[in-house]
Amino acid sequence: MKNTIKQVFHSGKFLVGFIIFVLILAICFIYPVFVTYDPLEMIGAGNFYKPGTYVSQEEAALNEGYTLNMDASESRLATALGVEELEKMQEYLIKYAGIAEKDIDVTDTEAIVELWQQNYNPDMKAKGLTSAKRKAYRRLDASIENAMKSSGVIIAEEDAESGELKEAKTIKGTGYVNTKDIVNKRTFILGTDNFGRDVLTELVAATKVSLRIGLIAGLIATAVGLILGLVAGYVGGVVDNIIMFLTNLFTVIPSFIILILISYSVGTNARGVMMVAFIIGLTSWPWTTRSVRSQVISLRNRDHVNLSKLSGHSMFRIIFTDILPYIASYVVMAMILQISSGILSEAQLSMIGLGPATTKVATLGLMMNWAMQYAAHLNGSWWAYFPVVIVIALISFSLNLMNTGLDQVFNPQLRD
Amino acid sequence: MKEIMKKVTALLCVGTMSAVMLAGCGSSAQPAATAEPAAEEPAAEEAAEEPAEEEAAEEEAEPAEEEAAEEASTDEGSTPRNETLYFAGQQWGTINDWNPMSPNSNNAMGQTQKDTARTLIWETLFMYNSMDGKLYGLLGKEYSWNDDMTVLTVKMNPDAHWSDGEPVTADDVAYTYDTHVKYESSTGADYSTYIDSITAKDAETVEIAAKLDGGKAVNPLKVTAYLCNIYVMPKAYLEKVEERNGEDPDKVKQDTMEDLVASGPYLPYMNNDQKVVFIRDDNYWGQAASMWGKLPVPKYIAHTIYKDNAAGQVALQQGEVDVCQQFITDVQKLWLDEDLPISTWYDEAPYGMTATMPSMFFNCEKPGLDQAAVRKAIAMAVDYEQIIASAMSGQSQTFDELPRCIAGPAESDRAYVDIDSLKDLQWKNKDVEGAKALLDEAGITDEDGDGIREYKGENLSFKAECPTGWTDWNASMEIVAAAGKDIGIDISTYFPEANSFYDDMTTCNFDICMWSAPGAGPMSPYSKAMFYFSEEYAKLASNWSGNFGHYMNDDAEKILQQIPLETDEAKLKEYYTELSKIWLEEVPSVALMYRPEQFYSVNESVWTNYPAADSGNNIPPLVCTDGYGIAALYELELAE
Repeated sequence: MKNTIKQVFHSGKFLVGFIIFVLILAICFIYPVFVTYDPLEMIGAGNFYKPGTYVSQEEAALNEGYTLNMDASESRLATALGVEELEKMQEYLIKYAGIAEKDIDVTDTEAIVELWQQNYNPDMKAKGLTSAKRKAYRRLDASIENAMKSSGVIIAEEDAESGELKEAKTIKGTGYVNTKDIVNKRTFILGTDNFGRDVLTELVAATKVSLRIGLIAGLIATAVGLILGLVAGYVGGVVDNIIMFLTNLFTVIPSFIILILISYSVGTNARGVMMVAFIIGLTSWPWTTRSVRSQVISLRNRDHVNLSKLSGHSMFRIIFTDILPYIASYVVMAMILQISSGILSEAQLSMIGLGPATTKVATLGLMMNWAMQYAAHLNGSWWAYFPVVIVIALISFSLNLMNTGLDQVFNPQLRD
Repeated sequence: MKEIMKKVTALLCVGTMSAVMLAGCGSSAQPAATAEPAAEEPAAEEAAEEPAEEEAAEEEAEPAEEEAAEEASTDEGSTPRNETLYFAGQQWGTINDWNPMSPNSNNAMGQTQKDTARTLIWETLFMYNSMDGKLYGLLGKEYSWNDDMTVLTVKMNPDAHWSDGEPVTADDVAYTYDTHVKYESSTGADYSTYIDSITAKDAETVEIAAKLDGGKAVNPLKVTAYLCNIYVMPKAYLEKVEERNGEDPDKVKQDTMEDLVASGPYLPYMNNDQKVVFIRDDNYWGQAASMWGKLPVPKYIAHTIYKDNAAGQVALQQGEVDVCQQFITDVQKLWLDEDLPISTWYDEAPYGMTATMPSMFFNCEKPGLDQAAVRKAIAMAVDYEQIIASAMSGQSQTFDELPRCIAGPAESDRAYVDIDSLKDLQWKNKDVEGAKALLDEAGITDEDGDGIREYKGENLSFKAECPTGWTDWNASMEIVAAAGKDIGIDISTYFPEANSFYDDMTTCNFDICMWSAPGAGPMSPYSKAMFYFSEEYAKLASNWSGNFGHYMNDDAEKILQQIPLETDEAKLKEYYTELSKIWLEEVPSVALMYRPEQFYSVNESVWTNYPAADSGNNIPPLVCTDGYGIAALYELELAE
C-alpha cells in the first residue's frame, strides 16, 4: 500500500493535478477563515461593480488628510482630455463651429480648450448632429468644466434647526488621504455580480459547494456502478441480463436529458445541494457498471477465485477479497472522473436554471447563469463569469490529470 | 533513451503542427471576419425568395421565368438600409396571422390592441398620448359625450380611406364591433358588458351607446377606451372573410387574413421565420392635410426575429437595429464606455419614462397569506432599492423618490391621489425589524425552533413565481426570497415556462406571483385601481386582468363602482386616496419597481431625430409605433 502511494506520487502528472486540486481545496477552507462576509450578501446597489477597493466617500472627505505638493486639479484637465476627447472637440469645432482645420492645434490642450469654450453651443442643432452626439458633446463640455474648476471644494453641513448650510471644510487640490487611514472600505478583488454580491467571496463558497456536489455525486455514481457491476459480472445469468438491460436502457437515453427531466419534476423547492448531487449521481452510473462488469468477468475464472470457491467461501467474501482488490485502482480512477463530471453537470444544470435555489446557496453554475442573464459578456464585465470558467476548468483539469497519472502507474501497458 | 527520443519527436511534431495551424488561422482570420456580413446576406435573400417560389410553383411557370421571378423578389426582399427602420424586442417568432379578432395571434409587430394600440397596419379611431393624457384623432376626428353620459358620438375623418381606395365610413366602425360581438372575440366579450351598440348615424357619424344600469352608463371610461383600443376593419372585407369561412365563429377568428385591406400607413411586405418587413403604402390617406400632411419617413419597417435578448442587444450595438424595445443591463455603458450613438429617453437614470408598476400579488386564499400581517411583513422586509439598483439596473425611480400609491408613477395620474396623507402608511426600505415586530405582534412566531415561523402550526413556506427568462423579474423574485429569509418566512423562487406560469396566475394557483399593472391610458388611474382590487376580475374563470390573488374587500369594490360615474375631481381624489390607503394597509399586492411602458433605446447611426425627453414635440417614447408615439415616424431624418 505504502509502496503504491509512493509510486503514485512519483508520477509527475498526478502530482501536478494533485497540487492544483489541493490548492483549490485549501483556498476553499482557508479563505472563509479570513473573510467572514456572507457570500450571498447583496452589498453593491447596482450591477457589476468593477474590481477594486471602495473607500467611504464621506470618510475620505472628512478625513484630516495630508498635503502633497502635487496639485490634483492641475492634472485633471490632462486626465479628462485623452486623444479621443481631443479628436471629438476638433471634429465639433470644424463641423459645427466652422473653424478651419489649420487653426486648431490638437497638441496644445489649453488652446483647444479655449477655442472650445468660445465656440461650444449646447443648444446647437445642425444636420448630422444626432442627439446621441449632442449628448456626448454636452458630457464632454461638463467634464471640461469640471476639470477647469479651480481647486477647492467646499463641504457644507446643514444646520439641524435653521436648515441653513454652514461651511464645514474646504478640500484643496493638494489635499490627499492615505487609504490606510480610512476605516470604512471594502476590496472587491473580482468586483461584484449582477446582484451586487462580492464575486470572490461568492466564488470561494460556490467552489466549495460545487466540490461537495461533485464528490457526493461521484461517490453515489461509483457506489451504484460498482455494486451493480460486481453483481452482474460475478453472478452472471439472469441477474446479469436484468442488470445489463437496465444499464443499456440508461446508456441509450442521454443521461443529461434524464438529469433535466428529474430535476424539473423535483421542483425548485426540493432542489437543495444534496438533492442535486443525488440526482446527478443517480444518472451517471451506467458506464462504471459496464466497465466494472467486464473486468469482473475476466477475473471470475482466475485460479485464485476458483480456489476460494472450492474452499467454500461465501460469494460476498469472494467478491470483496478476491475480486475487488484487483479492480480497486480502476474504481478509484473512475471515481475521479465521476467527480469531475459531477461538477460539470451541476454547472450545466444551473446554467439552464435547474440547479439549487439562488438565495440559499452559491454554486459555480448559478453564478454563470446570472452573469449570462444579465449579459455580463456583452457589457464587458469579465469578472462576473471569467473566474468561474477558470475555476471549473482548473478543477476538471486537475482531476483528469490525476486520473491520467494514476492510469500510468496502474495500467501495465502504459507503465514506463 | 529510445523512449525519450520518441517523446521528443512527438513533441516536435505536435509543436510544428500547432504552429502551422496557428499560422493558418492567423492569416485566414482577416478575410473570415470581413466575410461575415456577406455570408449573412444570402441567408436573408434566401428567406425572401420563399414566397416568390411558391407563387411561381402555383403558376407552373417555365424554369427561366421562375428564375426571373426569384431574382426580382430577391432585390425587393433585402430592403435598402437607408429606407428601412429596424426594430428589436417586439416579435419573437414567425407571424401566425393578421387577424385582430384572433385569440392566439403572436403578431405583436403588426397588431397590438391596447390603450396605446400599434397603428402601423390597422388603425384605431383615436390615438392615446401618454405625454399629456389626451386622445388624438386618427380615423376619428372628434368625439363627444351627450350630457348624461350615455351616448358617445364620434365624427369620422372624411379623408380616411382603405388601402383599396374605398372610404372609411361609420358603417365600417359599426360593422367591426358587431362582428366582434357576433363571433365572440375577446374584444367582443370584453366590451359588450359596457357598450350596448355602435351604430352609423350617417357616413361620417358614429354613435356608441353605453350599456345602462339604472339610467346611468355602467362604465363610461371603458367606452371611451374603445376609441383608442380597437382597430377598425372594412365592412366589405369582413363580409368576404365571413363568407369564405361559412360564418363559423372559430374559423372566422382563426382566419389568417393575409389578404387584408387596412387603413394604416404600412402593409405587410414579407415575413418568415427570420424577418418581418412592412412596406409603406404610398397611397396612405394620412398624407391628407387633415391628418399628418405627409407620409411616414421610412419606406420599410423591419423586425429581424432574434433568438433572445442578447442577440437583439448585439444587433443594436452594431447598428443593425434602430429602435430596441428590450431591457438592457447598464444601458448607459453603451454610450459612456463604448461611445456608441445610442441614447434613451432620458440621458440619466431612470433612462426611460416610467409608466407601469410590476407588482407582486399574494394569494389571499392561501393559509398564512390570508393574514394581512404576513403580507405586509413580507412587503416591508423586501429590499426595493436593491431590486431597482440591481434587478432593474437603476432604470426606475426609487420609492423614496416616488412614494407608493395606487396611481403609478405618471405625474398626471398621481394628481388623483393625496400622496402626503399616505405618509404614515409607507414603510421604509428593507424594514426587517419592523416586519419581525409586526409578525410577533400578530402571534405568528417560530414555535418549533427551525427558523421558520408558523401559522396555525404550519410553517410559512411560499413559492414566488414568474416566467423563466424574464431576467429582471427573476432577479426581483430572488431578492424577495432573500427578504423572506431575513424574517423567518421560507420563500423559494419558481420560474416555470411562460405558459404554465400563465395558467397558474390566471387561475389563482400560486402563492406569490408577479405581473405588471396597466400603463398609461384613457382609463388610468382607474385601470390600475381595477387591476389591484376588482372583485369582478377575481371572479373570472380565466383572469388576465388583475387581482390575481382574489383579494375581496367590499369597501374597495364600492369605490371602484363609483369612480367611473364621478366627474368631480375632488371626490375622485378622495376615492383614489382611500383605495391607496387600503392598498398600503392590507397589502393584497405590492409594487416592486417602476418601469416604462416600453423599453426604448435608439441607435442613431442611420436614422436620427427620434423623440427624446428634451425634444419638446410631445411625442411619447412608445417605440415610434404605439399610440401617439407613431408620430415619431413622420419626424425621422437620415443621420448623414
